[in-house]
Amino acid sequence: MKTMRLFPLELRRLLQSRLTWLIMALTVLSPVLGLVLYKPATSTTMLSMYLANPAIAGGAAGAILFGLLAIFELDRARRSRVDILTDAVVSPLTTALTRLLALLTAAVLTAGLTMLVWLPISAGLIGSVFTGVNFLLAYLLLMGLALPLGILAAAAAYQFTRRADLSIVLFIAFCALSLTVWSAEWQLCWLNPCVWALSDDFSNFRVFRSVAWMRLTWLAALAGVWTVSYLCIRQYGKGIFGSLARSVRRIYRPAVALALLACSGTAYAAQPFIDNSNPDLTVMSFYEIPYAEGVTFLSRSAQVFPDTDAGTVTGRASYQFQNTSGQEQSISFGINPGYTISNVQANGTDVPFTVSDYQEYNEALLEVTIPAEEEVELTMEYSGFPQESMPTMQGGKELSSEYLCLENSALSPRVMNVMPGEAGYPTTIEITLPASMIAIPFSSSEAEVISENADGTRTWRYEANSAGGILYAGDYICEQIEAGGMTIEFYYGRKHQAVMAEAGAVDAVKAVVDYCTEHYGKLSYGTGDTLKLIQSRVAGGGYAVDGASLLDEADFTAANLGDVQKGGGAGEVMIHELVHQWWGLGNMFDTVDSTSPWSAEGLTVYTTYRIVKELYGEDYAREHYVDQWQQAVDDYYLNYYVRHPEYLEMLPENEQLAISNSLSQVRQYNEMPLKILKAEQLVGGEEAMDQILHDLFNRELDPMYPYLTYQEFLDACHLTEEDLNLG
Amino acid sequence: MELNIQNVSMTYPNGKQALKGLGLDLRSPSLIGLLGPNGAGKSTLMKLLVAALTPTAGTILVDGQPLEKAERQLKARLGYLPQDFGLFDELTVTQFLDYMAALKGLKQPKAAIRAVIQAVNLEVKARVPIRTLSGGQRQRVGIAQALLGDPPFLIFDEPTVGLDPEERIHFRNLFSRTAQDRLVLLSTHIIEDVQSVCDQIVVIHHGQIRFTGTPEQLIASAAGHVGVFWEKDETQEQGLHITARVNTSQGVRCRAVADQLPPYVQAEEPTLEDAYLYLISREAAQ
Repeated sequence: MKTMRLFPLELRRLLQSRLTWLIMALTVLSPVLGLVLYKPATSTTMLSMYLANPAIAGGAAGAILFGLLAIFELDRARRSRVDILTDAVVSPLTTALTRLLALLTAAVLTAGLTMLVWLPISAGLIGSVFTGVNFLLAYLLLMGLALPLGILAAAAAYQFTRRADLSIVLFIAFCALSLTVWSAEWQLCWLNPCVWALSDDFSNFRVFRSVAWMRLTWLAALAGVWTVSYLCIRQYGKGIFGSLARSVRRIYRPAVALALLACSGTAYAAQPFIDNSNPDLTVMSFYEIPYAEGVTFLSRSAQVFPDTDAGTVTGRASYQFQNTSGQEQSISFGINPGYTISNVQANGTDVPFTVSDYQEYNEALLEVTIPAEEEVELTMEYSGFPQESMPTMQGGKELSSEYLCLENSALSPRVMNVMPGEAGYPTTIEITLPASMIAIPFSSSEAEVISENADGTRTWRYEANSAGGILYAGDYICEQIEAGGMTIEFYYGRKHQAVMAEAGAVDAVKAVVDYCTEHYGKLSYGTGDTLKLIQSRVAGGGYAVDGASLLDEADFTAANLGDVQKGGGAGEVMIHELVHQWWGLGNMFDTVDSTSPWSAEGLTVYTTYRIVKELYGEDYAREHYVDQWQQAVDDYYLNYYVRHPEYLEMLPENEQLAISNSLSQVRQYNEMPLKILKAEQLVGGEEAMDQILHDLFNRELDPMYPYLTYQEFLDACHLTEEDLNLG
Repeated sequence: MELNIQNVSMTYPNGKQALKGLGLDLRSPSLIGLLGPNGAGKSTLMKLLVAALTPTAGTILVDGQPLEKAERQLKARLGYLPQDFGLFDELTVTQFLDYMAALKGLKQPKAAIRAVIQAVNLEVKARVPIRTLSGGQRQRVGIAQALLGDPPFLIFDEPTVGLDPEERIHFRNLFSRTAQDRLVLLSTHIIEDVQSVCDQIVVIHHGQIRFTGTPEQLIASAAGHVGVFWEKDETQEQGLHITARVNTSQGVRCRAVADQLPPYVQAEEPTLEDAYLYLISREAAQ
């Protein structure tokens, strides 16, 4: 009770210190570091650049600043000898607790102040995709909770050592651990959470849940450590152990410390987000499981019920097999490691099953023994929180009322060792979703609503033919576009509507698909009448299957659409990004060699120029493309570091990297398009170049190395590297 | 309020024995002067009484309860002014006293703060930051915080250090008034302070109590052992401790204490300071 009475006075005293206000002001300003200096979120979405990075930087800087303030404040009472007076009136344990509460309150006030200051700035920088929920959660979890962690760690260091200098060294070392060796360990980087991207157009609850888990784990751990240090506060003229022996006489004190440490340890060990998949990605033992003898796959159906509030999935799956072996057989399934399996029955009877501890490629192995009957219907139930494999790229298994992506064994257990029947792997999936969501199978299949439920949900059904399958669902807008002789179903997030409208997305899609189909040919994965172009939640790149292609939302942010290197305006950048369906996805390019101008960008920028020339005329295209390339390349050849690369190597690593990246961009976005333009002139004009590109696009692929190389391009043009020199 | 110190010893971790089997009973109302040379064990005794230290042997009883069990009750009834203390410089005098009042759990802090600010003559400085105060004014803030809430047990360690003579007289009288219904322990080097207000004196030397009693009893113990003489008359007598030398027109007049006064020394009425010095010199000789 005395602590509660003292708390307002201690807080008032703390807030009367100029140093406290200085620390608070620096913390409020610290998110600016995330805009200019410290950018751990590498994605180019608006929320990554203008929300995640400032909040993480603010959290790291704020935690360090408040940690130092805690050490200063705790040491000040001793240094100024006020503690002699206070200790004579109350126990030093009481004053320590009061000071901690005052510091924590100052941190909370600072976090609130930071949010007030940064709310209009963030809203202005982020634009139409800004939402209050993302802002609140980002500043609360990425920044706000870092401050108490810094205070607890620093206060514990001081209470153990009772020396300000030593405490500062220990605290800074603890911070440095998080910023360096632990920075890729999502549960250990207490200061700077592992957040690589925040989605602009869809929800981010998965990432926020993961950060909250990490923060609470550390909060319990550091509160436990602080409590132990609290027991070591020196009393009665005794040393650390004598004081500890005195303090633990009240048994609830060590009990609280142990309970907090136990909670933290349990939270660390039982985290539900990341699986234990074999980190060696060359091991593919699940693919080596022999097929079950005499068993063929007849059909599969699944009813999937995502809980969009909890982020969990419940499902029932049913498999029909034909077992002609006359023996029991072990059937292997891949299941998401976050799921638990129950109620496994074959032809209505419980059958034994096991789930392996070993995991590989985000799957655990479920083995079920089916009876020696010819017709077997195997049913099972599964539920849980879908886990991911890559701790540094979390968010892929986002599951909310705005977005979900259920891939393969996260959708329903994936059969691994059963030969397909005559019909392949016929599958029927039913999924029940909130009314605001549309189900989009990532294939040529179309989902339809089969029931509107009383609770406001809708059940969708679609058929497919695969042992796995991917389903996207979300609050999407679908534009039907007739282009290139097929129907393009263009799905993009509702939040992105303003940006897409401003960029003229529908016109761009039509222009690109018409142009590229006519000049280069149909997309290999768009062979049917319909092609789905689905804007996905930020995923680090796109991919395609028959009938569907994924567009990463990061390519369609307002910032990217304003990138002058890719086009003369948002609409033209939209064209650029869509051309990547042909150059980049339809035809793959090997990992970019930063010293070479050859990449997917060269052909994409060139094709964008050709489309723009067709749309807006030669003068416009020359002024906004060719002249721009030429200017950039002229400057490039005059660049001091291009002429004297030996001096570039002498620069500090950071500057070297910044200059190298900038030069590499010029090579890819300006030099190579200009080389292709020169090649166009040398091979006899646009028509000849179109034919060459058509042939390259439709060439026979080497499955071992399916990438389009510069040499292949030169060979197709009958040119050498020297022929395309621009100097 | 009653404190019983029973056979208390205190040895620091470095091996230094500060108190040896000390026994003492303190009972209110009383103003007790604690005297002793530097390193005698006075500060250690006071730290034991405010529970800043625990004795290595012996027991301290607070109203019959061992201090270990009665620590919270003791602290709730204690006013303590240590010799070497600090204040929160960023706070005003009133805010600091408000902070200390909250620590002490006072029910009506405003009235209590007003009363102690008035008692230590700091009304004009009540609302100024402590960092702007002089050394004497800071000392008065220290006294004020000790007096807050009218605690029944007060310990002052060198309370008049840094105060001007007029203030010293003021505080001496304040302590005397305060002790009318309370137990006040006053440790000081200024014998004059003790002589004028204390009703009881405790002398500690080498961690042991050498005297307990009234000032009059201490003075009486030195009767016949104090005298004056001219320096020119001095012979090399053993056991004569000069306590003062005064230059006069006729030469240097010396004041001394001794077990046996030599013939050339003219006996004088002892003062409390003479008595204290006599006691200490006798202890040293033994």
